[in-house]
Amino acid sequence: MKDSKYRSSPLGISRRTLLAGAAIGVSQIAAPFVVTARAAEAIKIGMLLPKSGPYAIQGETGHNGALIAVDDFGGHVLDRPIEIVWLDESSPQSTQQNMRKLIEEEKVAAIQGGVSSGDVLAIMPVAEQAKMLLMATGPNATEITGKNCNKYTFRVDLPNKVTVQSVYPQLKERGKKWYFIVASYAWGIDAYNQMKDVLVKDGGTVLGYDQAPLGTTDFSSYILKVRQAKPDVLYVGLGGTDLTNLLKQMHEIGLTRQMGLSSPIVNDSDLWAAGPDASFGTYPKLWNYTGPHLTKRSAEFVDAYKKKFGAPPEVEGWQDWFGATAILTAIKETKSTDSSKLAGFLEEHKFDGYKDAPIGFRNFDHQLVQPLLVATVRDKITDKYDYFNIDSEYPKDPAQLEAAYGSQAEIGCVFKS
Amino acid sequence: MTELIISQVVNGLVLGFLYVLIAIGLSIIFGMLGVVNFAHGVYFALGAYFALSLRDNLGPWAIVLAPLGVGILGMAIETTLMRPLYGKEPLLGLFMTFGIALFIEELIRTIWGAAGRPFNPPAFLSGFIIWGPVLVTKYRLFVLVVTMLILAALWLFLHGTRYGRIIRAGSRDPEMVSMLGINLKRVFTAVFGLGTAIAGIAGVLAAPLWSVVPSMSEAAIMPAFVVVTIGGLGSFGGAVISGLLVGISVALSIQFWPAASTAVMYALMIVVLLIRPRGLLGESWERFE
Repeated sequence: MKDSKYRSSPLGISRRTLLAGAAIGVSQIAAPFVVTARAAEAIKIGMLLPKSGPYAIQGETGHNGALIAVDDFGGHVLDRPIEIVWLDESSPQSTQQNMRKLIEEEKVAAIQGGVSSGDVLAIMPVAEQAKMLLMATGPNATEITGKNCNKYTFRVDLPNKVTVQSVYPQLKERGKKWYFIVASYAWGIDAYNQMKDVLVKDGGTVLGYDQAPLGTTDFSSYILKVRQAKPDVLYVGLGGTDLTNLLKQMHEIGLTRQMGLSSPIVNDSDLWAAGPDASFGTYPKLWNYTGPHLTKRSAEFVDAYKKKFGAPPEVEGWQDWFGATAILTAIKETKSTDSSKLAGFLEEHKFDGYKDAPIGFRNFDHQLVQPLLVATVRDKITDKYDYFNIDSEYPKDPAQLEAAYGSQAEIGCVFKS
Repeated sequence: MTELIISQVVNGLVLGFLYVLIAIGLSIIFGMLGVVNFAHGVYFALGAYFALSLRDNLGPWAIVLAPLGVGILGMAIETTLMRPLYGKEPLLGLFMTFGIALFIEELIRTIWGAAGRPFNPPAFLSGFIIWGPVLVTKYRLFVLVVTMLILAALWLFLHGTRYGRIIRAGSRDPEMVSMLGINLKRVFTAVFGLGTAIAGIAGVLAAPLWSVVPSMSEAAIMPAFVVVTIGGLGSFGGAVISGLLVGISVALSIQFWPAASTAVMYALMIVVLLIRPRGLLGESWERFE
């Protein structure tokens, strides 16, 4: 009896009832705080960019670019802090694993990145299966927004099919006997196929075609073959340290500026690493941090980047800045993190201020349609970073922009419903 | 075609000497200390980065001082981090060197930045020499001569001096050498310093040819391991033969099947290990059996 006396309250309510009531009461009082805590939970943007290997510097620059976009939004969207979760992009298999980790463990709202086309082609089906928005900021293989396209993947970078058209008229002035060295994966092989078609249709000759494994350090044996073939133009589907190594070793053997040189796309950092003496060539460029094409908004990005990181941004920085801006704008405008809603918004929205005219993703292939530059490395480079003269914009007639990226029938992209 | 093949073989031989230089430090450290040094590539990278920092103020002296700096750092690491693990579970040493590799690569990224740094060969070594079908750049010829001098000096040191004999004896039977009153701890530290300094030399010499980036160790570590494995772990002569074999194989594969030029060295390693599991000149060492 004594025990039961102590177990009951003076009002005759059992302790268990009292505790349950208290718990309910506390939960009611605390409810606003719980909601506040949930509101403060970060909106995570997943990032897959290389942290090591040939494209490591592109990874870092891209990450930096995205951080500027976060700063532009004041670090918050929908009153929640923005968090970039950066995992490594090192091979198709490991990038797939990291993509799953971002989706399942980090619960990200969207994913951006992808420098290597091979890696992006591997993660695209994961994006489709998980219904997760994938903003592919750096790959160029044509099929990404072509026959392999899907409704959750958007691409910022340029397809090879477009870049080869932009630079060919200028390169053919050097002659039509060409040699090709390309990285032996999707991007390089696609670049060769696209450019070879243009060259051969125009009556040109392929003197040689070599595939080089990604991460090749020594190109001297390739260069011996090129030297013997004596091409007018060397077209290389190489990027990152591969391109740097090639330029340094061409310089070593005295072939710098002895022939035309181009690639499907170029990152400034690859040339900065080779140095002014070894750098040369004419390249398609999605963007350049100097030049008359620079809009006010892009110039502000350059200033912010320089201030934060102490050096100007190369093109990968702009791509990931734009990619992150596009995702965050979509989240802000739709007030949602649902990938279907974000994709719907991106299909319709035009982004003003980034290039001469508003740019946007096409609704039938999710390719960002934008003008690009054809740029040549200066004969005399006096600045540590400013290597390029801008020769022209492509297409020359802005009215031809849509047509330059191909029609729906030409692209061959069909979204699964 | 014959001319191009001859040219490729010679080019492969020259490349092979660079592989030998990268691998020989790894081979010495394993042969003498029994340490499988996963951090070998970062000492190679440090050689390039030290030279990068020193060359503006010290000019050609940077080529000498950078590897010396790497060797001193190697000795400090051996004394503080490696020595406590001798005689313990071999996996611990492996993990330690792996950790050191990751740490130093990040350190390089923090100090020198992630971006690649230009590094040209000196002006007097620019240009090339042509003998019939063979074309060799002056810089690669310089690398070849330096490598041969280092190899000759190493061989003479190990086989012609008292210190060399102590090192070789210590590598086979450390307990017996210790019982003779020789301070093996110091010997091991010196050997580790020597191996890392040679990696540093390779890094300095490779800097004008290959990208100078924080992850440049990756370009060195895999060829180094392949060369040492093919040659026979710890075998000096084996590393030389194997390095040249790998160089020629890579060059010829680029001539005939470029896409396989990286795979060819691994294929060569598989074939050699299947036929001779100890590697070409590898011997049975009681200590490691």
